[in-house]
Amino acid sequence: MRFVTVVSLLCLMAGAAASQIPVNGKTAGMSIAPVVIEIFSDFQCPACKTLHEEMLPSLLANYVAKGRVYLIHREFPLTMHAYAGQAAAYACAAERVGKYDQVANALFRKQATWSVDGKVDETACSVLTPDEARKVRALAKDPSIAAEIQRDVQAGQKAGINQTPTLLITRDRKQYPVTSTNYDLVRRLLDELLAK
Amino acid sequence: MNFWRSNRLVALQVALRIFLGGVFVYAAWLKLREPWMLFAMSVDAYGLLPSWAVIALARSLPWAELLLGLVLLSGKWIRITSAAAAALLLGFLTAMAFSYVKGMRIECGCFGSGDIISPRTLARDGSLLAAALVLALLSFRGRASRISSRRS
Repeated sequence: MRFVTVVSLLCLMAGAAASQIPVNGKTAGMSIAPVVIEIFSDFQCPACKTLHEEMLPSLLANYVAKGRVYLIHREFPLTMHAYAGQAAAYACAAERVGKYDQVANALFRKQATWSVDGKVDETACSVLTPDEARKVRALAKDPSIAAEIQRDVQAGQKAGINQTPTLLITRDRKQYPVTSTNYDLVRRLLDELLAK
Repeated sequence: MNFWRSNRLVALQVALRIFLGGVFVYAAWLKLREPWMLFAMSVDAYGLLPSWAVIALARSLPWAELLLGLVLLSGKWIRITSAAAAALLLGFLTAMAFSYVKGMRIECGCFGSGDIISPRTLARDGSLLAAALVLALLSFRGRASRISSRRS
């Protein structure tokens, strides 16, 4: 009886641990996961909003939380989008104060508004405390943030990425660029790669 | 000498057949070496087919291209294969043109991933279609002229 109780408790603890997603700024999951997904995204691109709001929660719950996928957000602001670069700078700056997810969520949620009126600062800072907002505003103009974004863009270009959103899926050092926002198809591909 | 059976036209027919056969085999190889789901995503991006048809097409089309390419290279059933190649390329070009006109910025899926539909890809597929149509014309006219010469 005692053995059954201990086993049940251990199972419950394992389940609880598995359901928690280790998030560290722009990364989520365990870096030793068999599959790595780098999401090259532009805050002003409508398809990126779809991916962020519709596909990402399922990816996090079904693959990242289960230790099967390690997720990395990469900035890929397109030159055709007037405020995408500024939005990326605010998101990267927010990461430095531990608020990347909150700012990214706000930017995508209110994309239709700031894409027109250009009020990126107002949108990004709406989810920050006054002290955090002050730091983020200063950091967004920091050359190191611009350099960070440039590194992401260059990494994308090196991988042949020319549109957003692109999921660069890596399994056993082989890379598969995916531009689909159809979760069912992405899920099938991930299952196929994980079954290898 | 019969125009449709002149040496130059026969040589052109052979060249077109080998060229198109090679293109179909190459396109099939690029798709088959990657997980088939990547091609399914390219097909899905056109937004023209329901999910079950996307899966069915993604599973079967690369093999159909491979078979068509190999038969074209072999020179067997040239009228059927040239007509099939022209019909297939016409289907591809129509879908690509439709998406381009709609302003969709998607991969064409023709030769693996990373090839976004553009005037360049449309011109490339248009040229392939023209080559397939010429091959079909030569194959059908060549046969018709052979039959008429036998009768006379």
